[in-house]
Amino acid sequence: MTINEFLNEMVDVLQTEEDLNMDTVLSSLAEWDSLSIMATMAFLEKNFNVKTTMKDFREMKTIGDIASKAGL
Amino acid sequence: MMLFSSDQFYIVTGASSGIGEQTALLLNELGASVVAIARNKVRLEHLKQKCKYPENMYIEVKDLTSEITEISSFIKSLCKKFGKFSGMAYCAGVSCVKPLQLVDYGVMQDAFNINYFVPMLMTKALLDRRNNKGNGTSLVFVSSLDAQICTRGQSVYSGTKAALSASVKAISKEVSGAGIRLNSVLPSMIKTQMTEDYSKLYNVSEELQKDKYPWGWGEPLDVANLIVFLLSDKSKFISGQNYIIDSGGVI
Repeated sequence: MTINEFLNEMVDVLQTEEDLNMDTVLSSLAEWDSLSIMATMAFLEKNFNVKTTMKDFREMKTIGDIASKAGL
Repeated sequence: MMLFSSDQFYIVTGASSGIGEQTALLLNELGASVVAIARNKVRLEHLKQKCKYPENMYIEVKDLTSEITEISSFIKSLCKKFGKFSGMAYCAGVSCVKPLQLVDYGVMQDAFNINYFVPMLMTKALLDRRNNKGNGTSLVFVSSLDAQICTRGQSVYSGTKAALSASVKAISKEVSGAGIRLNSVLPSMIKTQMTEDYSKLYNVSEELQKDKYPWGWGEPLDVANLIVFLLSDKSKFISGQNYIIDSGGVI
């Protein structure tokens, strides 16, 4: 998955109307709540075979942090 | 009295007859814009002709079970056309009266497709933040009294409706934070094509069920009134409920 494909997928995962980039700050998104964290966890596991916990997400600040978790 | 405004768009499925048709007509009469979905084009066109504000009645001819896995793109295309939705009245459904001996996987699939899988997938698509108006959005599902009070021959039908009513409760908790409400209504026998077919087949009648339903069988409008109330802001404190509407038969 390219970075662009990843960003497009994340738009759907978060059901957001904002344009996302690697520097987008998660806490700035109205959509960033516990349900979207669960959706992101499922997305990472399904597409990258990466298992995460809620604790991992507390340390992530930007969309780029999620991308690096995915190994991108 | 206008309970809605024309910039509030509601999806009504099963809109060509019975409870769905009455719900579409009533919503339209009370000022809402309605996207009426059903398979029968002629009946949908008739609905548009007889409604009070035809300019606010949009018809979509569609068999919802034909491409179940494509439901989310169907909803997306509707949002492109009409904008974000204020809610949905899911009134499509089939009856399935068969003793268990006559039930097989195919019978169950047919009933679950339209009575459970399609409403679940439509709900999932509509609850995408990009497809609904957020706070105040309301979804109402036509379940059945059979979800709670079960009779012979209704194992599959009861199963589909009980599943729907239970899921509505769970989903209402998932989206309460967004101010979105979901409820289901559980009617007893209502005078529709579906119950007419059923009563002919099984030789039941309003007269024979007098002791069960003191005021006889209901009219589609009786149920539509409850559905429209639950869609409107008048019910803004109500969510996750399963409402029995049966002339006080089951207490």
